[in-house]
Amino acid sequence: MKLLVPIKRVPDPATTIQVRPDGTGIVTDNIKWVINPFDEIAIEEALRIKERLGSGEVVLVTIGEKSWQEQLRTGLAMGADRAILVVNDKPLDTLAIARVLAKVVADEKPDLVIMGKQAIDDDSNQVGQMLAELLGWPQATFASKVEISDSVCTVVREVDGGLETVQFPLPAVITTDLRLNEPRYASLPGIMKARKKEIKEIPVENLGLDLAPKLKIKALKAPPKRQAGRKVSSVQELVHLLHTEAKVI
Amino acid sequence: MFGDLQERELIREFVRQLTAKYGRAYWVERAKSKGHLDEIWHELGKAGYLGVTVPEEYGGSGTSMTRLAILMEELCTQGVPLLFLVITTAMAAIPIARHGNEELKQRYLPAIADGSKKFCFAVTEPDAGSNSFNIRTFAKQEGDYYVIKGQKVFISGYDQAQHVLLVARTTPADQVKEKRHGISLLVVDTNAPGLSAHPMDTQIFAPERQFALYFDEVRVPRANLVGEEGRGFRALFDALNAERITVAAMAVGLGRFALQKAVEYAKVRKVFDKPIGAYQGLAHPMAIARTHLELASLMTHYAAHVFDAGQDAGMYANMAKYAGAEAGIEAVDIAIEVHGGSGFTGEVDVITVWPMARLLRTVPVAREMILNYVAEHVLGLPRSY
Repeated sequence: MKLLVPIKRVPDPATTIQVRPDGTGIVTDNIKWVINPFDEIAIEEALRIKERLGSGEVVLVTIGEKSWQEQLRTGLAMGADRAILVVNDKPLDTLAIARVLAKVVADEKPDLVIMGKQAIDDDSNQVGQMLAELLGWPQATFASKVEISDSVCTVVREVDGGLETVQFPLPAVITTDLRLNEPRYASLPGIMKARKKEIKEIPVENLGLDLAPKLKIKALKAPPKRQAGRKVSSVQELVHLLHTEAKVI
Repeated sequence: MFGDLQERELIREFVRQLTAKYGRAYWVERAKSKGHLDEIWHELGKAGYLGVTVPEEYGGSGTSMTRLAILMEELCTQGVPLLFLVITTAMAAIPIARHGNEELKQRYLPAIADGSKKFCFAVTEPDAGSNSFNIRTFAKQEGDYYVIKGQKVFISGYDQAQHVLLVARTTPADQVKEKRHGISLLVVDTNAPGLSAHPMDTQIFAPERQFALYFDEVRVPRANLVGEEGRGFRALFDALNAERITVAAMAVGLGRFALQKAVEYAKVRKVFDKPIGAYQGLAHPMAIARTHLELASLMTHYAAHVFDAGQDAGMYANMAKYAGAEAGIEAVDIAIEVHGGSGFTGEVDVITVWPMARLLRTVPVAREMILNYVAEHVLGLPRSY
């Protein structure tokens, strides 16, 4: 079974993000870049599926600058077999990303695409769904459990207020939720082997796709600073203020 | 020469993930209770990191002091010094891999690599500290066995180890031409009949304890000899050079751990108007400490590089150990100063690093003996002792 795992490079979740003064983006100096944590879960799940089946290939793909190969290398160190870097330095919106991935899927013909439900930088939560639509494949988003047998896939999804179990044939697109698994560490032999694994670079221009953005980010703003709280002297005063000032009761 | 930079970053990243799970609080708790660090040790083994000095054919990833130094430095930077990386991964695995016979390699290296077996290393004696060739513990050959009599002191981790890599005389010092001759390395089981141990009252804030070992007619098969009988100094030098490089990495990491805390504190702590980090009286010593840590790290990695190339790393290993220990002490000292009175509390957790950082100036080889080595062997000055 061939498993394709699209990954995105994002700032380390522990980083304090600052918006550029002109509001066009974030300050990227001194940012530590990591694999989007949801994508890391997707890599782990792909590796587990391959291990359970006893054979298969896990292929990573990302769309970004040449330096993004660092994150691909991390995924290869976890155990993925090879990687594809679609080299691009222009801004792409979610539909453009989904189109590039659809092209990679057409070339690679994986049995399953498994990716994070969203990237923690822009929190769009769109690419997986768009990709499934472009491919005309079944999709299962927010997966918290994945089982595969005889090209039938069963996924438990995290939905509001509970869990939903869906079943569908392969090929398909799955997007991963937080509780699906705990990603492994890169082992030392894994790190050493990763050096020799292939990262194929494809210039985005060579794909011949219309990637003109349909979506434009107009401005980014940091959330307002939280105001200090206020102490009240009695329950009566609290109730009074909630009623007259905050108008919530 | 510093290995693959991306590989280095991946090893560091692994350590940060691991210490996010078993971090400083875990280590401090075990240091207080003198408990073992088995959980993190087994995870390191499972992920292949304890095979960092073990050849691939014995379940490791190939002997690399470079990778061991990266691993140790980052673990200590995260506040989790693991002494067994020095005494087993460096000091036992390397001599066995380089000098041991096939049977010994098969028996011990895979178990070192997967974390299931630990070694302690026994060279120091009451009358043989800096002067290792003065050791008197004697292994007398009787048929297919050696019978060992003698005493060792300051043996770290004996209680947690399954084996001792023992340095003993097999020919008395007065019967050899050179003092370094007649010394042999032997693997002894820690539960061997006739071997007893008593904990020593060392006051270092760490989970590992030190022991005095007594060998009373301990019988060991001849097959347990590491390297040639009487020519153990080669294996011993490999062990001691590997130890110095790993200890240098440890000192640098501990310095980084303490300094990083001081820097964070100095950014936010205001005594008058500005954060105290703005005062050059504190900023400059911190900047100097950081610079010295980086220099020591550089020397450590160069020593590891020379060691991995199979060349004599003695000079660089000694200099790295000197530089690492001094930089570590300097960094911990300024970190305490930056924290003021609270620097002496357990909560701030920098005074807790002090005994170990300071220890590394004196052991495994005293600063003065390193300077003697450099004076004599590097500068070619006459020997004073």
